[in-house]
Amino acid sequence: MFRAILYSQWKWSRLIVALGTIAGFALPIVSLQGAARGDRSPLDAEQLLRAVQGWGTLYPLLATALGLLVAVASWAPDHRGRHVHALTLPLPRWRYVLLRFGAGSTMLATPIIAVCAGALLATVAATLPPGLQGYPFALTLRFALAVLVAYALFFAVSAGTARTAGFILSAIALLVAVQIIARVANPDWDLAGHVQVVLVNWPGPLAVFTGRWMLIDV
Amino acid sequence: MSYAIETRDLVYRASKHFTLRNLNLKVPTGSIYGFLGANGAGKTTTIRVALGLLRPHSGLVRVLDGTMPGDAPRLLARVGYVPEQPHLDPTFTVGEMLRFQAAFYKTWENARAAELLLQFRLDEHHTIGRLSKGQKAKLLILLALAQRGELLVLDEPTDGLDPVVRRDILAALVEYVSQHQATILISSHLVHELERICDWVGIVDDGRLIAEMPMARLKDGTKRLRVRGAPAAVAETPFTLLARRANGTGETWVVRDWSPDMTSYFPSIGALLDDVIDLDLEDGFVELLRTSRDPAAA
Repeated sequence: MFRAILYSQWKWSRLIVALGTIAGFALPIVSLQGAARGDRSPLDAEQLLRAVQGWGTLYPLLATALGLLVAVASWAPDHRGRHVHALTLPLPRWRYVLLRFGAGSTMLATPIIAVCAGALLATVAATLPPGLQGYPFALTLRFALAVLVAYALFFAVSAGTARTAGFILSAIALLVAVQIIARVANPDWDLAGHVQVVLVNWPGPLAVFTGRWMLIDV
Repeated sequence: MSYAIETRDLVYRASKHFTLRNLNLKVPTGSIYGFLGANGAGKTTTIRVALGLLRPHSGLVRVLDGTMPGDAPRLLARVGYVPEQPHLDPTFTVGEMLRFQAAFYKTWENARAAELLLQFRLDEHHTIGRLSKGQKAKLLILLALAQRGELLVLDEPTDGLDPVVRRDILAALVEYVSQHQATILISSHLVHELERICDWVGIVDDGRLIAEMPMARLKDGTKRLRVRGAPAAVAETPFTLLARRANGTGETWVVRDWSPDMTSYFPSIGALLDDVIDLDLEDGFVELLRTSRDPAAA
């Protein structure tokens, strides 16, 4: 059963996964390009860290894009068929959702492995200044977490009906409205800021996306 | 008598303007049950509620030996369903779709699927999105038949198809029933088509079941009578009087549950029966709908 679902997932998201895999493999290598070139003297530590940090902003973006696109691809054909096919399959709905989620997660393993391979290759090939070392596995683990968080989030949203999307948009609109009213009443009160802190700062669910994404660090 | 589908006082509100009202449907096990109704009468909604796709507001739905939607996963393994609108992913090839379905049904028969592919002249390498309407309909029937369900629920499976494809599909259905003693519920507004294959018929209009009976009883027992001299008000009749219209010097009565020995009724009320005209299923269907919509005519 899972194989059948996985096959359908592969059909729907193979292009996204292929592009994500190429990008995931290339990103660590490109980020250490300067350090890896033997015909130049190695970049000094500060320059290298700055370059790696600059490229590092692309990891959460790639993770978000992959999570979003694979999640949308997981549900789009079902939405097009008004879920009739899925609903008439002889299995509980929760199990179908779980199988779909599992299939998408499995597909996302490929770009995660590509990031790991690229990061390992880049750190092995690079000539690092003294005092710096590579963290390919830590970076991969973080990337994997970010991809899965993004995927889970967008999967849940994509699985919903237009009504669910309406609820989410209404909640955001309500937040904005409360923020505007609260600002008028008390200019120091920043609801959006509070929400952002709760979501993005540790241990918020989106904390994995923030901070520095360093393949090379002290 | 056991029923493959049975609803009791089923109520489902689809919108402000449309409700299934106290629907009591009984599809006998082993029958080919024609579910007739005009467009928008509630056929598709009834089927969706019966298969657990929609949750009823009240009432009971029994399918095979369980209740819907509670036992849906277990029961759907024994039910083949062909929806009104093709719902399959258009990027799949026919072969991929067969393998996908096979993974979910323990009773799936690969040999039967291969046979039907040949019989329906479907190429398993073609993508579903590129199949013609007739080929898509055949594929849906193939999927329903190859899973060897005890109950097939077909929602307007031949609507808009050419006569050759329609005939192919209906022949495959009849063959399936004769081999597997399965039950088929087939909804349609193409009355002539159902007349050929169904042994039971249910007629739905505006969310209400207005008639349910063996096909033979509807066909043989529904007549148009030419009557003269009948009093304006008639007491109890031995048949069901569906409609009564003035017609020149006499009247035309449309009746149900007619049998030849009932001619003696007319002298007893001082009337004269001039003629008894057979109605085909379509005429019977139309008269039942008219009576349902305008009870004052009866």
